[in-house]
Amino acid sequence: MSLAIVDACFLINWSWFRQRNDLLNLFTRLVVPTPVLVEVRTERARSYLAELVVSRRLLIAPRVQAVDQLALKLFEVIDAEPHLPTIDPPEAYALALAKHMRVPLLTDNAAPKLATRYVEEVKDVEVLDSLDVLARLYLSTRLRSKVEEFMRDTGVLFSEGRLRDYGVAP
Amino acid sequence: MEWPPRELKKLYEGAGLKVDWEEYSKVVGAYLKELEKARELRRKSADWAYIESRPEPLKTALKLLVETGDMKLVAMMYSLPLDVLNEERLKAGIPLVLI
Repeated sequence: MSLAIVDACFLINWSWFRQRNDLLNLFTRLVVPTPVLVEVRTERARSYLAELVVSRRLLIAPRVQAVDQLALKLFEVIDAEPHLPTIDPPEAYALALAKHMRVPLLTDNAAPKLATRYVEEVKDVEVLDSLDVLARLYLSTRLRSKVEEFMRDTGVLFSEGRLRDYGVAP
Repeated sequence: MEWPPRELKKLYEGAGLKVDWEEYSKVVGAYLKELEKARELRRKSADWAYIESRPEPLKTALKLLVETGDMKLVAMMYSLPLDVLNEERLKAGIPLVLI
């Protein structure tokens, strides 16, 4: 059984993607920490969560003190940084939970991914954004068209460098 | 300039976190370069007439989103639900640029 922790931005973006159900080809269940759950308010995103619940593909992770300690440390240092993108408490919690559960974190925010490159305590956490997930879902021949679809549906753009890394630069 | 900056080192040490400073330096350098490109892209793509037509605090929130690209920060600053801000972002034609 493959699990992944999901952050709010990722969930919200995927709620707009016409092929959002393909995500379940990669992960058996998505884990949403309770601090992340409260960030989802619109009908579209809530409906997506409801679909996942009905198909038994969503787990809600309660708040755990052991995870909170690392989350708080990450939040304190990353958020105080002047050079790098900010991380908010639910996102820091999601990163710490991914470390605790040894499963990937799906997020479209830059801060957790960057943190895994230089903070030793979370270097072993796999952080995937939407482009990483699309690249895992679709073979290179279909990847370009799926990336274009995703960008059209969600209003998310991937930098040229990232697209080049996956061989789908325009 | 001292590297890593003393204050930053103290911050991480105080939190009990170890940092790979060489990698940190690479991350910051690459990120700052891409950040400026992304900001230009958001400025060019945004529907400014739509942004100007929105009531406060949405108008200022969308302008700040163009400048920073940081959904969570903007949502928090203006007490807007994240997905409500996202819907406004889509209407305002502000791309979320993943670096």
